[in-house]
Amino acid sequence: MTTALPTGANPAARPALGMTRKGFRRLTVTQARLLLREPAALAWLLVPVVLVVVLGSVPGFRTPQASLGGQRVIDVYVPTCASMVPLFLALTALPMTLAAYREKDVLRRLSVSPVPAAGVLGALVAVIAVVATVGVALVTAIGALVFDVPAPAHPVAVVAGFVLGGAAVLALGLVVAARARTGAVASGLGVPLMVLNFFASGLYVPIAELPHTLQQVCAAIPFGAVTAVWSGQGVLWQHLLVLVGWTVAGSVVAVRWFRWE
Amino acid sequence: MAVIEVERLHKRYGDDVAVHEVSFEVERGEIFGILGPNGAGKTTTVECLSGLRRRDGGRVSVLGLDPVAERDALRQVLGVQLQHSALPERLRVREALELYASFYRQPADIGELLSRLGLTEKAGTAYKKLSGGQQQRLAIALAMVGSPQVVVLDELTTGLDPHARRATWEMVEQVRDAGVTVLLVTHFMEEAERLCDRVALIDAGRVVAVDTPAGLAARAGREQRMRFRPSAPLEDAALLALPEVTQVLRHGPKVEVVGTGNLLHAVTALLARRQIIAGDLRVEQASLDDAFVSLTTHTTTSGATS
Repeated sequence: MTTALPTGANPAARPALGMTRKGFRRLTVTQARLLLREPAALAWLLVPVVLVVVLGSVPGFRTPQASLGGQRVIDVYVPTCASMVPLFLALTALPMTLAAYREKDVLRRLSVSPVPAAGVLGALVAVIAVVATVGVALVTAIGALVFDVPAPAHPVAVVAGFVLGGAAVLALGLVVAARARTGAVASGLGVPLMVLNFFASGLYVPIAELPHTLQQVCAAIPFGAVTAVWSGQGVLWQHLLVLVGWTVAGSVVAVRWFRWE
Repeated sequence: MAVIEVERLHKRYGDDVAVHEVSFEVERGEIFGILGPNGAGKTTTVECLSGLRRRDGGRVSVLGLDPVAERDALRQVLGVQLQHSALPERLRVREALELYASFYRQPADIGELLSRLGLTEKAGTAYKKLSGGQQQRLAIALAMVGSPQVVVLDELTTGLDPHARRATWEMVEQVRDAGVTVLLVTHFMEEAERLCDRVALIDAGRVVAVDTPAGLAARAGREQRMRFRPSAPLEDAALLALPEVTQVLRHGPKVEVVGTGNLLHAVTALLARRQIIAGDLRVEQASLDDAFVSLTTHTTTSGATS
């Protein structure tokens, strides 16, 4: 999963004076501990899981719908719910955590130690990426095992889509986190981005029911592209290119904009 | 040998000049104080020499390293306690020390650091559950965790009660005794007087004076005053004949002698020769406080004497 980090090169791999491999490992472990001590961390995982279970329990959602091309509602909502996990984590948890660190001068203290900015971002992104992977796997597994949601037509493409989609929204989350001075500012910027991605992933209205033009706009939004990959709509390489584009652009801007205080 | 050299340091924020041509040198093993009213540019100065801010002019060298160009090398040998800095609320004391220790090539022994700073019993306590004094001690421990050669301590005791303040001073003395050069930023005269070997007095972004605390006090040139009730008659002329005495005032049975230099010694010697006892003796001597006020008087901000 670490290969998907938007910060690109693993900071620990660089033989810099700044930070040792041990330092990066310790920072990552510490971030993981702190995230687990924050009760809100579990909510980000629980909401999508509960949503899948609830939707799957509605009998009407388990019968094929003509308007969805013969798919059941639950079939459409499993990828959507799975998408919620990285979106929650990347666009609210990540920027709010970093903004709170900045607001409370935690970053200021780190900035006078040998830790480079990329080390701090990398450790946090690594932890969030692992939690997101666990969440996506959990939602997918419940869908497949409990509600018989069929596997996507191209599983490899779907995994690639989720990995790149996760990277793309983490990069966007880092852009928000790079400057936001307070948690409130971070959520004010992150939440609209998250809702936009929710929409594009079909959380509010199934994408198949949208007008064609709007479907194309959605496919240009990171999790619109991921959902399109899952459902086999459009051209695969174009979707992946969209995701790579967001990842690269987001990472470059985030590193340029990053401020310790 | 100077471990910190600051030459004509200049820093502005927009049109505001925060630091104007500040120069000083700190010798190895010293506790060097940067003293000045709030907003004088003390913190900006140490931020520039910690590599936290990019200077606009002048030369800064810490242990022979440029804080900006050789930031990574400097981080390994410079410990910093910042005025506004904190740790994540749920991070525990030992975890914080282990985390920061992992960043350095030659970390200090954590168990020893905990016991030296009296934090052994708090090792498992979350940062937000620590008292102000304990948080400050942890901040010192974190500044020391990389086995630095120089530590910068900024407004170390602000907000601490007198007891915790004294305990923290002892910590600073221990740090120096361990061979570490200390740069101490403060606006407490008492702190500078107690701890510092030398002090740079900064006001409105400029160095007003660099001297020992006693030297600064003497430089203030404030008159000294003695008041006492002599046990036998003492004529003004005898007192005025002393070169140290400039003025003699009478308040009923009490004599007030105003003068400079070693006034106390001159007057008591005279009284001893005459076998006169000085009852209710009170002496007002210039202190670092007086130096501070007289050398920084042009700023009449409320912060000047706080």
